[in-house]
Amino acid sequence: MAAAPVAAEPISVGVIANLTGTDVRTSVNMTRGIEMAVADINEAGGIDGNPITLITEDSEYRLQEAMNAANKLYGVDNVEVAIMFGGSSLMIPVANLAQDKGRVLINTSSSSSKLGDYPGTLFSVLPLDDIIGKKLGEWVAERGHKSAAFVVPNNTFGTGLMNAAADAFVASGGEVLAQVAYTEGNPNYRADMQTVANVEPDAIIAAGYGDDSRTIFKNAQQLDIAAPWYGAYPTIFAIDDEEWMSERFFGVDNGGASLKSTMELAERYRAEYGEEPLSHVFYGYDAMQIVAKAMELGGTSSSEIAASLPEVVKSYEGATGKITWDDRGQRIDPPVEFVEFKDGAFHILGTGE
Amino acid sequence: MIDFAIYMTTIVCIWAVLAISLNIQFGLTGLVNFGQILPFAIGAYSAGIASFHGLPIWVGVLAGLIMGPLIGFLVIFPTRRMAQDYWALASLGIAEMFRLTMLNFRGIAGGVEGTIVERLSDPRVAMAVSVLALVVSFIVAERISKAPLGRLLRVIREDETLAATLGRNPFRFQVVAMAVAWAMASAVGVLYAHITGFVDHGSFMVIETFIIWTAVIVGGPGRNLGVVVGAIIIQAMSVSTRFVAQWTDLPSDVVANLRLALVGLLLVVMIMYRPEGFLREKKPNYDVKS
Repeated sequence: MAAAPVAAEPISVGVIANLTGTDVRTSVNMTRGIEMAVADINEAGGIDGNPITLITEDSEYRLQEAMNAANKLYGVDNVEVAIMFGGSSLMIPVANLAQDKGRVLINTSSSSSKLGDYPGTLFSVLPLDDIIGKKLGEWVAERGHKSAAFVVPNNTFGTGLMNAAADAFVASGGEVLAQVAYTEGNPNYRADMQTVANVEPDAIIAAGYGDDSRTIFKNAQQLDIAAPWYGAYPTIFAIDDEEWMSERFFGVDNGGASLKSTMELAERYRAEYGEEPLSHVFYGYDAMQIVAKAMELGGTSSSEIAASLPEVVKSYEGATGKITWDDRGQRIDPPVEFVEFKDGAFHILGTGE
Repeated sequence: MIDFAIYMTTIVCIWAVLAISLNIQFGLTGLVNFGQILPFAIGAYSAGIASFHGLPIWVGVLAGLIMGPLIGFLVIFPTRRMAQDYWALASLGIAEMFRLTMLNFRGIAGGVEGTIVERLSDPRVAMAVSVLALVVSFIVAERISKAPLGRLLRVIREDETLAATLGRNPFRFQVVAMAVAWAMASAVGVLYAHITGFVDHGSFMVIETFIIWTAVIVGGPGRNLGVVVGAIIIQAMSVSTRFVAQWTDLPSDVVANLRLALVGLLLVVMIMYRPEGFLREKKPNYDVKS
């Protein structure tokens, strides 16, 4: 008598993202990247025939709700691994919880150095602030700018990046004229931008995203600030006046965008969602892919995933390029691309590691 | 599932204490405090500051218990002559000032990066402590409410001038109510810091005050049991709606937005059709002849 076929058992993976609250667009892009990866994985047969299903929880970008989400995922849904978008103020408490429960957390958006305190629990696909910041500061100096003003949001991402970029810029012979860390969510940043206008820098080095970056650019335009802009992860900035920003906005972004597979993924995204993908689509995609490959390699329990992940990334070249981790699971030496905004799109000027 | 229930009990107890704290100020005394998150933040930051500067845990706990009511006094003293609407705005502003100070001065408790605090790693212990905090807060609030002090606070709530004609100094009693209320909120702030293991400014935004107010308005201002029920309803709504996305085919971002809309809708409906809340305040009649 033939044995009855065993039904494929879905493997649940948790996702924590701010689907409401602040910075929703970036977060939703990350979620979509994960969903695209899951579609690819399941189409290829899943994990040993078992499909992956996602359980997505909203964090509202609030600690309380992020903890509610994580407790539900780890405590009720019993997911072995969760992929998360959010700053360090959310990521660290959730990492604490994951560590207590012996589960795995994949970070796609936070870049605080404190994340390295959770080896075997927390793994990052986003490089730390100081790496991108250093490359940005050095590049601005290489391009012949002698002085710079900084405009960043007053959060861990913004100030961490500013400190690293400023150090690198000064070390390369540049002079920092002003450091503006603005409070997020304001309807107007004219006073902040007036500070920048007053010092007349050769270049403006910036970090930011969403509506705030849109307002910052608008205020700079109103004040006739002519200096070129250099942004960290420029694709997450929101640009209204493309003509004004054309050939005025440069930046250092994650590498891999010029890879054929990444360009195909971007094209798929445009076709599915009718908009340009932010780089977080690729971080989400890579996070899900390395989790799936770790499950294939070592098994689906959290301890097996945690043990396999460092092995997986050694041979994985994803949508954000090659992933290199230090011994704490934090991304170092990411491939980067130097880009220029021109005629409504970003163009690659060069690459580096 | 049990772990989740333990965690939710812990969280509900903390928010219920915050609701009781606000109820003592608003429901009982008539102090419209739009900065209710401040004493909670003071407690949490006391733990955070102690941790950031390498001090023992008990220093943070003690500081939280003392600093809550002390700062409450410092807040109410210079603003005592303000009308209620201005006092409400002042309390909102002072809470934001505290938060922004913690955000911008790295040397106090890590500034924008926040600070890690030693955690209560056993969830059962965290639950036991939070349940104890709720029980103690509830008993204290009930005793105040039913004592002559509670009756006088209600008179102050209804008419400060009337209270003054009774030979009482309304401000003195407002200070007492605020000190007790802020001590409760500050105590659970310390507890919250040791449950999450992290303190940063993002946990003490204006929206957190809004959530406490929603619990009080939904539950029943003036009645301690009511505001506890309100806190349970708000937290239960927040959590239970998380399961809707899995039971339906609705996209998770749509469910997330609906969840927030539901809380707003509940608040509007309650204000329109049952402003006294789910559990109406009991107003005892006193037989003055006897």
